[in-house]
Amino acid sequence: MSVILEVKDLCKTYIIEKRQNNVLKNVNFKVEEGDMIAIMGPSGSGKSTLLYSVSGMDLPTAGSVIFDGKKLEKLTSNELSEVRLNEMGFIFQQMYMMKNLTILDNIVLPAIESKKNGESKAEKIKRAEDLMRKLSIIDVADNDINEVSGGQLQRACICRSMINKPKILFADEPTGALNRTASTEVMNELIKLNEEGTTIIMVTHDAKVAAGCKRVLYIVDGNIKGELVLSDNEKLTAADRERKLNNWLMDLGW
Amino acid sequence: MYLRILKKDIKRKKTMNIILLIFTILASVFVSSGVSNVITVMNGTDYFMDKAGIGDYIVFTQTGDGGVEDILKKSANVSDYKKEKCYWATKDDLTLSGKKTEMKSNTLIIQRLEDTGIRYFHTDNTEVVHVEKGEVYVTAGFLKNNNIHKGDEIQISLHGVNNSLKIAGEIKDALLGSDMMGNTRLIISDEDFELYEKEESLNQFSGSIFYADTEHVKKLSTEVSGAENILFEASRDKIKLSYVMEMIVAMVVLVLSVCLVLVSFVLLKFVITFSISEEYREIGVMKAVGIRDFKIRSLYIIKYMAIAVTGGIIGLAAGIPFGNYLISAVSEKMVLGNDSGLSVNVLGSAIVVFIMIGFSYMCTGKVKKATPVDAIRSGQTGERYTKKSVYSIKKSHLGNAFYMAVNDVLSAPKRFVTIIFSFFLCSLFVFGLVEVADTMKSDRLITTFGKKSDVYISDAKLVKMDFMSYEGNISLPERYRQIENDLESLGMPGKVSMEVWYMYPVTVDGETTSVVLQQNKETSADEYEYIKGTAPGNAKEIAITPQISKKLNVHIGDKITINYGEEKVESMVVGYFQTMNQLGEVMRIHEDAPARMENASAMMAFQIDFDEKPDAKELSERIEKIKDYYDVEGVFDSAGYCDDCMGVADAMDAVAKLLLVITCIVVVLVTVLMERSFIQEEVNQIALLKAIGFKNRYIIKWHVIRFMIITIVSEIMAAALTYPVTKLWCDPIWNMMGATHVEYYFKPLSLIVIYPGIILGINFIAVLLTALYTNRITSRDMMNIE
Repeated sequence: MSVILEVKDLCKTYIIEKRQNNVLKNVNFKVEEGDMIAIMGPSGSGKSTLLYSVSGMDLPTAGSVIFDGKKLEKLTSNELSEVRLNEMGFIFQQMYMMKNLTILDNIVLPAIESKKNGESKAEKIKRAEDLMRKLSIIDVADNDINEVSGGQLQRACICRSMINKPKILFADEPTGALNRTASTEVMNELIKLNEEGTTIIMVTHDAKVAAGCKRVLYIVDGNIKGELVLSDNEKLTAADRERKLNNWLMDLGW
Repeated sequence: MYLRILKKDIKRKKTMNIILLIFTILASVFVSSGVSNVITVMNGTDYFMDKAGIGDYIVFTQTGDGGVEDILKKSANVSDYKKEKCYWATKDDLTLSGKKTEMKSNTLIIQRLEDTGIRYFHTDNTEVVHVEKGEVYVTAGFLKNNNIHKGDEIQISLHGVNNSLKIAGEIKDALLGSDMMGNTRLIISDEDFELYEKEESLNQFSGSIFYADTEHVKKLSTEVSGAENILFEASRDKIKLSYVMEMIVAMVVLVLSVCLVLVSFVLLKFVITFSISEEYREIGVMKAVGIRDFKIRSLYIIKYMAIAVTGGIIGLAAGIPFGNYLISAVSEKMVLGNDSGLSVNVLGSAIVVFIMIGFSYMCTGKVKKATPVDAIRSGQTGERYTKKSVYSIKKSHLGNAFYMAVNDVLSAPKRFVTIIFSFFLCSLFVFGLVEVADTMKSDRLITTFGKKSDVYISDAKLVKMDFMSYEGNISLPERYRQIENDLESLGMPGKVSMEVWYMYPVTVDGETTSVVLQQNKETSADEYEYIKGTAPGNAKEIAITPQISKKLNVHIGDKITINYGEEKVESMVVGYFQTMNQLGEVMRIHEDAPARMENASAMMAFQIDFDEKPDAKELSERIEKIKDYYDVEGVFDSAGYCDDCMGVADAMDAVAKLLLVITCIVVVLVTVLMERSFIQEEVNQIALLKAIGFKNRYIIKWHVIRFMIITIVSEIMAAALTYPVTKLWCDPIWNMMGATHVEYYFKPLSLIVIYPGIILGINFIAVLLTALYTNRITSRDMMNIE
């Protein structure tokens, strides 16, 4: 497997009222194609900052993020936008969507903006509908965003993130605002996408969700304190994976 | 506690609070200046007349006093009167450093300040109390029309008496200041005036002006009708009416003020509602933790009250000079003002403060009804969510940004109604004024001034006052023939005629009054237009205007006795016509009626009807030929003659441009502030779009197109409604001036291309520059979204 994302000595510092706050301190890790990584850690440890920094949504104070051979910190704002539009997908905890558009329109909007696949508008709309069908939300395609449940909305966000066939998907607590059932549904969809070849990096507090990933990074005070591999090779059941993860987390002081 | 929350709030929501403060300041500026200006304009001419001391009845005589003074002295209807001596001159007698003047009117009135019956005012509205020897004050507008300046020298050469005078300044003249009166008064020193008095040969040009105080204008008019040499007589009301065009211009300030007041309140309501909707989440939190509604409400009301009072005071301070500027811009010839002083401005600002507090009280009223959860959901309950998206991307053939903009406008039209209303209202009045100015510059009004001809020569060099004498009965027709011969020699044969006005006493039901009669001896009366009845067919038939019909209570079929001096003719009213001459108070007599040039009170212009009808290009070449041949400037086609008669088309044009500038300022302010509010409201969505890979360019395009759509909608609405709305407010004004049926001239270039284009262009720049602010919102702002 080739490395799709490499993080080298990543630092992120915020200055708040003349006080320096070092959120990320020399973070290093690599992500291979087809990987599915969960980033865990206590509140304020720098998980989300790490996710936003490695996804090019925020620029690091120091260090480097190499995505698909490109140093993100060297790209211009427009080049970064191109990368985010065509090669990355994003899922946010709060299920943000454009409020005046229907679910389908929200999903298809980035596809129409993208010139990547050379498809016609009709083909893009069809692909969006296929994705919605796959995630079982085709019935709400023409609904407004406030006419659907949280689970449906988050699945719509996943559709939107996948519409331009990204190489990597970033998810910031994708199940954080969902109940247990919806959370399981969304996680199953993400696992399915990963099985189809999409690389996923997600931030989560939920050990059950993280247990579905292949690797877990544990971050404390801006440093990666440990990494757990939950490879399929071990042939563990879901319950065993969760137990193994919980034990590991407890060892790290979770 | 309150203070701490307020301080935090002001810091945290700096942008929205600043926007609200700016809107409050604007509202206070517009309302405080607007209310004051409305009162000033409503007082208008009365204020000016009172300040100048104009009497109730005014009479001009051509030579001597014509026996008027005797009548006034003996009349039981006169409580007091004042008399001024004057010398009549024409613009041909005046040169500016050797050059002829470009005055609209031919007539000059030379007077001294010392025995003047009324007060004159400097341009800064202070009274003129002294004129130095060798100096002259001229009626306002004279300097601008002649492109000369204070301090320049003019030379008056009146039948051998030459005098060189330095221009000391312009005066606001309540009697002659209006464009419709149009005469220029030259106020000189006592010493200079004596030069004319010493020269006995000038006595034939020495007339009088009387200002009489009376409560019985009609009775006095009947008495004065027996006097001789009357050039003009009018009541104070008629003089007031002569300011109708100036008042239209001043009314613009009134309309503009009302318009700005409306815009201010609509915007204020929108911004407060918008601002409070931003507060809903924390209102919900406060409710959830048990703070009483009254306390929550009063917290916000105190905040808005603080903003209202601050904005109100700043706006009041700025509103006073702003209002004065507007009034001075439209009252170059009038002294406009009111006696209320600053109290009206203070009242205006106080209204804004109270209304704003009222709005905030109303808007926070929802606090009481909403549950904590409703409030947290930004004031919307789950059950009441309404369908927003009405325009699917599937149906759209537009680009992405264009689609987003159209969808926004269609999905939440209420959000843009405020802006559309503001732009529409401002544009509507600009377009209306432009349409009126274009109409004035066209030949649509020509039949309200006389017969439509190809060319009009009104230059004093040819239209000499000498014709208004006994000899004129012979010399004027000779002059017609001479001009016809000249035209023939220039290869453009045509017929020459002129409309002459006479002042004759007319008697209806035993009551006699002086009326202006119009006659063109070289043209058949049926060549004029009539709105009812027929043209006078013989000397015993006359046509009248609706104004005369009302004044004398005569109608078609009634009889009027006209005393032509040598004979009295009982004439029958056979038709009605409209005219703006003498504000409609005229009669038209048949070409054979025995009117005599010695009784003429005014001559209009030599009218030329060419034998071959030339096209516009040929006509313009012929006009130039005539100008060169006679070495005169006052030669016009029918549109130019209309403009020359009204004399205010340029002023209207200037006011339309002033209104356009103010509209553009309002449009820019509304655009900048509203766009900034939208950006603030949509910061989450902008950050989201950027996070998922949309470029800055896209966001800016989306926002700019959205504003362009609503501006275009406003401009289309304004252009579509310009004609009916203009007709609504302008027809009564034409009516006052004597024109009862006016066809407006819709100039597509002005009303569809130039003016909407300017507003659209300005708006484009404003929204583009404001939308650039979205560059400061980045994908990393997703992390800060609450």
